Amino acid sequence: MSPLRVTKSRDEFEGEIYESTVVVEGRDLAAPRDGAAGDEVGRPRPRVDGRARVTGAAVYTHDLHLAGMLHAAILRSPYARARVKRVDASKAEALPGVRGVLHRFNAPEVEFRQEKALFRDEVRFLGDEVAAVVADSEGLARYALTLIAVEYEVLPHVVDLEEAASPRAPKIDPDGNVHDAGSYTRGDTRRALREAEATIDVTYRTSTQMHNALETHGAVASWDGERLTVWESTQSVFGVRNMLKDALGLAPAQVRVLCEHMGGGFGAKLGTYKYAVIASLFSMRLGRPVRCVLTRREENLAAGNRSATLQRLRLASSGDRITAIEHETWSNSGQGRWAANPTGPTNTLYDVANVSSVAHRVTTNAGALSAFRAPGYVEGTFALESAIDELALRIGVDPLALRRRHARSRTDPRTGNRYSLKRLLDCYTIGAKEIGWSERRAGGTRGSAPHRRRGLGMASQIWGGGGGPPAYATVHFETDGTAVLRVGVQDIGTGTRTAVAQVCADEIGLRLDQVRVRLGDTEAPYGPGSGGSVTLASIGPAVRLAAHDARAKVLRAAAGILEVRAQELRLERGMVVSEGARTPLGDVMKKLDNSTLIGTGLRHPNPDGLALKTFGAHFARVEVDLRTGEIFVEKIVAVHDVGRIVNPLAAASQVQGGIVQALGFALTEERIVDRGLGRVMNANLEWYEIPTAMDVPEIVVRFVGAPDRRANNLGAKGLGEPPIIPAAAAVANAVANATGARVRHAPMTRARVLAALSMAGIA
Amino acid sequence: MASQREPAAVDVSLRLNGRDVTLRVPAHRSLLDTLRDTLGLTGTKKVCNEGDCGACTVLVDGRPVYSCLTLAVACAGKHVETIEGLARDGDLHPVQQAFIDHDAYQCGFCTPGQVMSLVGLLRENASPSEDEVRRAVSGNLCRCGAYTNIVAAGLAAAKAKR
Amino acid sequence: MSLFSYTKPRALSEALRLLRGGATALAGGTDLVTLVRHGVARPERLVDLTGIEGLRGWSREKGKGIRIGALTPLADLETSAQLAKLLPIVRESLRDAATPQIRNVGTVGGNLLQRNRCWYFRDEGVPCWLKGGTRCFAVDGESRYHAVVGAHECWMVSPSDLAPALIACDAEIEVASSLGRRRMKLADLFVAPQGKRRREHALREGELVAAVRVPEGALERRGTYLKAMERKAWSFAIVSVAASARIREGRARDVRVVLGGVAPVPWRVAAAEKQLEGTALDDNACLAAADTLLDGATPLRDNGYKVTLARELVRRALRSLAG
Repeated sequence: MSPLRVTKSRDEFEGEIYESTVVVEGRDLAAPRDGAAGDEVGRPRPRVDGRARVTGAAVYTHDLHLAGMLHAAILRSPYARARVKRVDASKAEALPGVRGVLHRFNAPEVEFRQEKALFRDEVRFLGDEVAAVVADSEGLARYALTLIAVEYEVLPHVVDLEEAASPRAPKIDPDGNVHDAGSYTRGDTRRALREAEATIDVTYRTSTQMHNALETHGAVASWDGERLTVWESTQSVFGVRNMLKDALGLAPAQVRVLCEHMGGGFGAKLGTYKYAVIASLFSMRLGRPVRCVLTRREENLAAGNRSATLQRLRLASSGDRITAIEHETWSNSGQGRWAANPTGPTNTLYDVANVSSVAHRVTTNAGALSAFRAPGYVEGTFALESAIDELALRIGVDPLALRRRHARSRTDPRTGNRYSLKRLLDCYTIGAKEIGWSERRAGGTRGSAPHRRRGLGMASQIWGGGGGPPAYATVHFETDGTAVLRVGVQDIGTGTRTAVAQVCADEIGLRLDQVRVRLGDTEAPYGPGSGGSVTLASIGPAVRLAAHDARAKVLRAAAGILEVRAQELRLERGMVVSEGARTPLGDVMKKLDNSTLIGTGLRHPNPDGLALKTFGAHFARVEVDLRTGEIFVEKIVAVHDVGRIVNPLAAASQVQGGIVQALGFALTEERIVDRGLGRVMNANLEWYEIPTAMDVPEIVVRFVGAPDRRANNLGAKGLGEPPIIPAAAAVANAVANATGARVRHAPMTRARVLAALSMAGIA
Repeated sequence: MASQREPAAVDVSLRLNGRDVTLRVPAHRSLLDTLRDTLGLTGTKKVCNEGDCGACTVLVDGRPVYSCLTLAVACAGKHVETIEGLARDGDLHPVQQAFIDHDAYQCGFCTPGQVMSLVGLLRENASPSEDEVRRAVSGNLCRCGAYTNIVAAGLAAAKAKR
Repeated sequence: MSLFSYTKPRALSEALRLLRGGATALAGGTDLVTLVRHGVARPERLVDLTGIEGLRGWSREKGKGIRIGALTPLADLETSAQLAKLLPIVRESLRDAATPQIRNVGTVGGNLLQRNRCWYFRDEGVPCWLKGGTRCFAVDGESRYHAVVGAHECWMVSPSDLAPALIACDAEIEVASSLGRRRMKLADLFVAPQGKRRREHALREGELVAAVRVPEGALERRGTYLKAMERKAWSFAIVSVAASARIREGRARDVRVVLGGVAPVPWRVAAAEKQLEGTALDDNACLAAADTLLDGATPLRDNGYKVTLARELVRRALRSLAG
């Protein structure tokens, strides 16, 4: 075993590069070659926890019921901005069954998300936390909230992005509402724009999208006098632990976070929110478990969203080359302190010599943004890829041909690093064939009914997803030969549990049902949060190493028991195979009695000087009713280049799901806020319309599938985010092809489509 | 709020997953809260609590309904079936098995409701068309977007049942 | 959620006695339960009507048309092949109404009497005019789904899919109370909130809708129902159109056109229908009638598109009758 060493690792997470110190031990394995499928990896496998899901036996955070459990509920500001002058909770406290009330005048000092207080003296959005009650039942706690009298001094507010950015808006941050959120330059865009043969200058808008994971945010906290155990519906058990230990002043070892099953996150559950701190504080005070689960309305006010954006793009071309892209963006971050920068694709996707981008974050009196599946990239790709098509139309070039010309570079233009693998051109070729791109006509074709036009559109995708260290796995064996794989990650519905079981089974030589996966527990060595499409590419290689280690040990032990040389043994689907004999692994393990073997593995750093990226392209076929503005998405072809596919069944699900969410973003999903009241009018699933089964088109999923052998020992990269990135732009481009009208605002509602058609003189 | 006092509870007798039960519930309590909190049947999920999502779908007298909009007292004398009651002696219902085979879920939170809607459909219509399957789950939102596979599972289950 | 008592009488007379005493009627509960949960309705006593015999199901008496019991679940009407033959517009209107689960318990009476979906009205925290406040917040607020025509102090829209369809069939309703029964035109059940009348329905205290009647004559007319939604299912109508007519030798007679989703009531204009009498329902006639229907429309900030949509849906619905 090679010695332990401390080194640096540079990894991408959601479009940004982070450097960290990591410890490395041992040597990594080489990635298997192309076509070297195992018995499990690369084959479609139903989820290993399928039975629990379909029988209702799977216990989610919402479903926990602990002995003596109390229920907390949160009083939220009815104003978009106000000073909390007085809180009188005496009536609530006097109610039988109410066990405690917290508010700004009695809560302990808590450091949370860069603020010192749990309850602000100036509440800054409608839904901001004002007080919390803990009681014997949830109903009682919610009733008690109505008995708390709060005196507010209402202050001027602003909720709309463009209003907040105007000089006349009330200043809600002392230094103004508009803040820098990053910029990037290469070449000289001014000059290129001046000297261009053709230019376009267009403005796009995207509305606020809300995650609406079906399981709302929630936590159950239980303090035993020394340690706090928290069950949380989260994408990152370690992330929750870190935030809670800091907020509560506890040591890391005093906080254990668990998440066995969780009902969707999409980015909003990477960290935790005040409800978990509130549940913990009450539990620590009362010595009983406390559950705090948000309602649907609370979820849509105070648990994150994808920022609305305003984006201006200027493109220049000469001959058949795009010579410059300028991109300036404004994002409504609400009360968030960061922006999901929409310019990532602009800066990195195409081989364009002159690029300049500037992002602004705008503070408003609305709930903070949070990461939402490919944050920034979804919004930015909608604008960039719409603009590329607008330019192609202007210069009379096929939009796919125009993209091809700028997609050949083998190096990341931002860092100069060579891509570990880039098969974007293959994505174009496969997708174009599948959608029938050659039948695309400028101006669209006749639709299937009167007044309907049909069109084709496409868009490209770039994203990270290479993952990185640290991430660990251990494998040990039960006496029956079952392998128990422990990892510090969680399965947020993507199928991580099944994928790591597949990797483990193949590497050891077991059947899939001989691997039991334990995850979602901070008692395991560290695993990353499920965000940035990093989970599998981070944990998978560690699992493979742990399984490899375990296998070697099992074979040595089996050799001793069977009295043969270890080199003469192999493990095949749970059987120890030697020359002429097959012994079930369980029989071998039984002879070991209570002895076991433990394999360990870790994630090695990513290779130096290489850019690990995922690529893809979506193609859309739509029909548009020119008289009613109705868009019919008929077919989406999605082609992704994400390295080796571990489980084609779950991978296809992931792509389908990303497309469905993208269609919501493209067509119907939009937070609607009354500006005067500062109130979200559709904090529900009635008027916040997420797609139904009736809204889903034919979806064709294709993977380039070539393993990225330079990336890691699995050759796999992430797939969580890529499929939500290009679909909206592909649909917008298809709509424009069909109708000749360009809708520059997502979602493309009836009103917006009709307005665009009318502008174009069509409707 | 009409009153803060604990309301008078009433006795309600109904059939639940094939067994007779008598419960004491206040009149305002939904069937959903009764299932989850009183009976511990947490397979039925609470997502919107206002009839917009379908995660709480159960069968009442064989028909899919939203248990969040159903008062428990109004179920007196009726047969309520939940996801927990589908498997027989450990054998999954064909719809359940089809969901596993077709990967008709991601996070799984909408799954019990989707399954109940399709079980309800197949009792009325043994060989539904694709459009009928799609319509049968049109009141069941899936935020992960597993619809393609949900519809495939519904069709496969109908075939398996026949 | 406020607390209430609950009774489930078997006899209509008992239910009517309780309603007279101020109790609130509960049928499928798909609307009432949410209103109570959001604090918009605060009943003290609920009378569950679903145990009453004789108010469920539909029947046809030759020459007397169709009678539909008010407690008939929407799903029963939607799935009845017999009814679909007699009155296809009913199935058309219910197909995209709400969801299968809601149609399984939601009743005909409940559908007609459902409260509107305005987000200011439904939000406990907004003191809108209809709830006793001083103004309609949609007028200078978020108005994309609000009324474009026929509104007075309140700009909500009539949400029912079934109502326009039944009105296009000249439906009447039987109204019962402890004082007796009366019949009225279904169209007259719907009133635009105005002045002292801060509600959407014309029922008097203690009354309930017992049945809907469709006269024999309406069965001879062709009918159709079109609905525009943002997504393809499970949305209240942005705009809907119910139309019916008798076609004789290519000419339209007894034309009815009723719009949903555009006004506080199912929207009907006699002059528009009259204008279509005897025409071939050609494009020009249809669009002229649509213009009459929408004459005087005053869209708010966000809902001008509804006029465009309504115009086109009216044209399509009428054209399809001709075809």
